[in-house]
Amino acid sequence: MSILRGLARLLFLATPIILIALPAQSETDQAPTAAELAAEIQALKQDYETRIRNLEAQLDAINAQSAAPQPPVSGIRSQDNTFNPAIGVILNAAVANFSAPASEISGFQLGHESERGQEGIALIETEFNFSANIDDKFFGSTTIGVHTDEGAETFEIEEAYVQTLPSAGLPDGLRVKAGRAFWTLGYMNEHHPHADDFADRPLPYRVFIDKSYNDNGLEFAYVFPTDMFAETGVGLFRGDDFPFGGSDDGIGASSAYARLGGDIGSNQSFRIGAYVLNGSAAMRGGGHAHGAEGDAHGEEDEHGHEDEMHADEDEDEHGHEDDMHADEDEDEHGHEDEMHAGEDEHEGEHHDPFAEGLFTGDSTLYGFDVRYTWAPTGNPREQEITLQGEYFWRAEDGYYAVTEGDETEFTQVDGTSSGWYVQGTYKFSRAWRIGARYSRLDPISAADVTSDDEYEVEHSPSTVSVMGDWTNSEFGRIRLQFNRESVHHEETDNQLYLQYIMSLGAHAAHAY
Amino acid sequence: MQLKRLARALCVIALAVPGMVKPSPASAEVQIFACEPEWAALASEIGGDVAHVYSATHGRQDPHYIRARPSLIAQVRQADLLFCSGAGLEEGWLPVLLQRGARVTIQRDQPGHLMASEHVRMLNPPSLVDRSQGHVHAEGNPHVQLLPENIAFLATELARRLTVIDPDNAEMYRRQLSIFQERWKDATANWMERKSHLEGMPVVVRHEAWAYLFEWTGIKQVASIERLPGVPPTANHLQLVLELARNAGAVAILRAPYEPSEGMEWLSDKAGIPIVDLPFTVGGQEGVDDLFDLFEVTITLLEEVRDQY
Repeated sequence: MSILRGLARLLFLATPIILIALPAQSETDQAPTAAELAAEIQALKQDYETRIRNLEAQLDAINAQSAAPQPPVSGIRSQDNTFNPAIGVILNAAVANFSAPASEISGFQLGHESERGQEGIALIETEFNFSANIDDKFFGSTTIGVHTDEGAETFEIEEAYVQTLPSAGLPDGLRVKAGRAFWTLGYMNEHHPHADDFADRPLPYRVFIDKSYNDNGLEFAYVFPTDMFAETGVGLFRGDDFPFGGSDDGIGASSAYARLGGDIGSNQSFRIGAYVLNGSAAMRGGGHAHGAEGDAHGEEDEHGHEDEMHADEDEDEHGHEDDMHADEDEDEHGHEDEMHAGEDEHEGEHHDPFAEGLFTGDSTLYGFDVRYTWAPTGNPREQEITLQGEYFWRAEDGYYAVTEGDETEFTQVDGTSSGWYVQGTYKFSRAWRIGARYSRLDPISAADVTSDDEYEVEHSPSTVSVMGDWTNSEFGRIRLQFNRESVHHEETDNQLYLQYIMSLGAHAAHAY
Repeated sequence: MQLKRLARALCVIALAVPGMVKPSPASAEVQIFACEPEWAALASEIGGDVAHVYSATHGRQDPHYIRARPSLIAQVRQADLLFCSGAGLEEGWLPVLLQRGARVTIQRDQPGHLMASEHVRMLNPPSLVDRSQGHVHAEGNPHVQLLPENIAFLATELARRLTVIDPDNAEMYRRQLSIFQERWKDATANWMERKSHLEGMPVVVRHEAWAYLFEWTGIKQVASIERLPGVPPTANHLQLVLELARNAGAVAILRAPYEPSEGMEWLSDKAGIPIVDLPFTVGGQEGVDDLFDLFEVTITLLEEVRDQY
């Protein structure tokens, strides 16, 4: 402050001198008398004095109020960990009980992650996230997910991407993400499962993208400078993640999307979007949809492998299953008839092209999503209603191949299947929410399937879910969920989950 | 192949649809995105007619917990100046807006990025930063608006930023600033005199939202209903608060507009002290339309508490 004051004084002293010096040069044009000059200087002096007095008064007032602000405390430390990335861990586990021994979804090929969760006490997922700004132009993040499958831990790089920061020099509103990420597709895909409102993903996510689409790729997104939120984007992907696979040229899929959103009044908001994801698959493996056990790639020894697994799984079924597999190669049709009479027929779709085949062909997925939120008081933390729905429509043109021994059976498909869900949650107090969800699938119609075996649409799978959860802080949540799944024509599976989701360390803000 | 063509056609449509949305009228020369209503109010004082001010939150919203709504991304996308509290108050939503809105001129270290907490003296930086301590802000208490000198500092800083961002109107911003500072100085003098009578008045709060007001007025916070910042009270803790309130002779429970009365009513009943709703920010109460109203109403309400006591 004193420096400022000193400067002001100096300026004040210097000004008359400069002012005198300047007119002196143009003395020939105009020669003011000494008296006039003196008066002028006097006037100037008074003017400046008033101004300085005002300034001083202001300064005094500020000083009087309290001590001057100190810069935020920031020691000049430079330790090794100063530039560590933000580290966050998500602990997500549940105890689950299922009434049906297995959960197949009729008429759909399933990826290896799309089965229902593990029964009993299980870690659903442990996520480790590391993220940081790389420099002034890029942000990097990686998420490693650890899942437990049948007692064995599998590590998956769920995300490993770099993203341009707004100061990267791109035009305003444009951002580019490259690597592996949960790409923009529908509402849920870009969110991590720990942010979901239910313990499991709805049916269309399970059958169409194997819970999430996180291929390797590149995505451009652009937000328009409009009052209504408008965003569009395009992506190019390797085409190795479900619903694609076996990409040979390394760029096997592409996407495009558009979104609009805005507020209604001050406490409601919405967003709608349309998406398309197109690509080709070569020998896309589906696994065999027999529950959580694992070989997803439909190897030739699958059945032998399966027997081993089932031997561990369920004592009661064991004998029956061995029988089934013994019959398998000899007399399938007869066997199938037998099985339709039996109780455990869900185990026996040995020639279901979707459950066992490898898909080769073009696959295009169209998606639409709507999300609406209403916080009656404006505070979503206290009370909030969210409604959300997504519709997916898939067109596939290609064939499913089931190989057994030396023989390969082909099933031609050229048609569409679809699925959707709607869900709502109601947060009635800070800690408590309840929610309900209905999801449904419509498999490809029989007319679009050409096969030696007869294929008919037996069932439109559907699931009804209700949940309630308790949130102690924004970092911890415990959820109870009940699902009534009718995903196979002969069986209804009642599922109960008691789940916790806890977050340690850094936790990036969630998108809308 | 047909599918691919169809997909391409859809891409084109996808790109075209948002393009048809009309860009917002560029009537105002400078778009200011304020995270909280108090900063929006200050921005309006300094920005005058030249600035278009958008407030991300209204007076009855808790700025800790806001969704990164699409509308906010759209506003950030167009903003020339971002004016927020900072110190982690908006950490749950602002980073998403900045990243998605991808507006270069409002990113950190740009003149268009103004965080109030970086220009005032922060109170109560925690000695222990750990999640077991609740929702703590490592930099200190971010609710900096209820201290007149902070407003004065920020008015000056805002004017400085605006003259950098929009030099054509620099003269106008300086004029607006000096008009505001003049009025603020007078108002502050009046409040300074009145606040001295509030010194030492014991009160109970819910959240540590009033630290700056108490620092300024000398009001004594004897207990907070939240066990830890952001963590709801338990029955045991309420009992403790009741004892503390009784022992210290607390005269009121202060409540911000967005705070739930959970626990407060019980305490009010047991301790026999009133719940006093304070505006907390501009728009936090009927008739609190600018920063002058905010302080005037706050002090008046506190004076009423003192008089009843």
